[in-house]
Amino acid sequence: MLRTELRKLLPYRTAWVILLLFTGLLAATVAGAGGVNVNGQQLGQALYALPGLWPNLTYLASYFSLLPAFLLIMLITDEFQYRTLRQQVIDGASREQLVLDKLLVAGLLVAWALLSVLLVGAYFGLTRAPNASLPAVLAAAPRPLLLYAAQLLGYLSLAALLAVLIRKSTPAIVALLLYVWVVERLIRYFLPDSIDRFLPIKALDILTPSPFAQTLDTVLGPSGALLPGEAVPVALAWAAGFWLLSAAVLRTRDL
Amino acid sequence: MSAILDIQRLTKRYARTTAVQDLSLSVPAGSVFGLLGPNGSGKTTTLGIALGVLRASSGAVRWFGAAPTAEARRRVGALLETPNFFPYLTARQNLQISADTKRASPATIDAALETVELAGRQHEPVRGFSLGMKQRLALAAALLGQPEVLVLDEPTNGLDPQGIADVRRLIQRLAAEGRTIILASHLLDEVQKVCTHAAVLHQGQLRAAGPVGQILAATDRVHLRLAPDADPQALLRALAAVPFAQDVQPAPGGACSLALAPGHSPADLNRALFAQGLALAHLSTEQRSLENQFLQLIQNS
Repeated sequence: MLRTELRKLLPYRTAWVILLLFTGLLAATVAGAGGVNVNGQQLGQALYALPGLWPNLTYLASYFSLLPAFLLIMLITDEFQYRTLRQQVIDGASREQLVLDKLLVAGLLVAWALLSVLLVGAYFGLTRAPNASLPAVLAAAPRPLLLYAAQLLGYLSLAALLAVLIRKSTPAIVALLLYVWVVERLIRYFLPDSIDRFLPIKALDILTPSPFAQTLDTVLGPSGALLPGEAVPVALAWAAGFWLLSAAVLRTRDL
Repeated sequence: MSAILDIQRLTKRYARTTAVQDLSLSVPAGSVFGLLGPNGSGKTTTLGIALGVLRASSGAVRWFGAAPTAEARRRVGALLETPNFFPYLTARQNLQISADTKRASPATIDAALETVELAGRQHEPVRGFSLGMKQRLALAAALLGQPEVLVLDEPTNGLDPQGIADVRRLIQRLAAEGRTIILASHLLDEVQKVCTHAAVLHQGQLRAAGPVGQILAATDRVHLRLAPDADPQALLRALAAVPFAQDVQPAPGGACSLALAPGHSPADLNRALFAQGLALAHLSTEQRSLENQFLQLIQNS
């Protein structure tokens, strides 16, 4: 299962371009953000200082979560285009197996993203944070990284569902962008805060809160959004729902 | 013979068309089963349902006497409609993926590549292959793991005459090894040369099925002629009274041709005419090709 997906993934040049772009953009943004001046002070100290380094990093990484999502859409829709999903069923794979294979690919993409954040964080933590040792840097990492993993898995799950539903890469990518940037925001206008905080993108985004969220809450009052810890089960429930829906669509459709 | 594939009352409806309608057929173990029909007759749809990629509107498919499962499909090697490969992977990498899915030994990859004469191009990306090469690679993929059954949908598409002859020899060799082969093809001559059984589909419906010899015998034409001095109409009148004489067609010079109902021989016909006082000056049987039979079945439907 893993071996077969790696056989498809490793020689795929586009995948490497997107994954390296993700890592490169993250590293460049973290490096660049340290030089930003806020109220006459360089952000660097606040950005790289422990324990805030990791939440800051995962917040920045969340800006690039759509890149692995685009890649997953391409990997799935390519298989519809090449009719290789159809061939795998002919060769003896079950339709449920096809979904599990893509869930595994999503897991690999999450692992790449986590590794990227970990390496970038370790580098900037050790070189820019005041008086930081490797154990101290790494000790603060698990919680923010796990929250980020849940967020990315949620985005990838939605991307996979759209890819299975639409089967073509460009329309599926446009649909993902429309949902993330427009549709859900519109839906939120019509729902009370007590309900809209459970919507997928809102619940996912809260897993990597903005470094300025606390300040904003102080100025504007509590937002009514879930706390990151509360959002984890919601995010995982959405992710499970998206994969189950993908399996249901694949099970009932002609290939 | 037990049935390898048993299809019962299969129907597949799309929004505006019915691709397959109430189709029942059975593929005996060890047979080379030809599935014939013009474009759009439902051959690929039938095979697609049997192989689990299309959903039937109604009806049932059984492989090896049981409900179809992914495990049963791993006992079948299939080339359905078009070769399906990752274009950016090499021929060998694509076969490795197929072997993984079929849980076939990687050792069978070399043998399959040799069989289709692609061993020398195995490290080239499939995107650079011609249609014929992709077709041969798809045949190699179908052969992986030495499946008990091969389903080949238009396997000679895109092949040159040498390639077509090679595929024919391959099918005959595999059949001689006792494999069951289901072959959907437009090339009726090919089917006649290699198939032991056939089914003819038209507009999604089954028109004929059975051993090829039986299907052909059903339309053997019997040619008759009386002596030159006999009344030409007498033969036609006498034939009208013979219930198993069908599709009687007059020919010049008082001759005529006809088909016999199943279970009746030219000798039966000769006896029936003699009983009516007619002595034939000529009686011969014309064995028709599968192509003629196929065209007649299609025209009659």
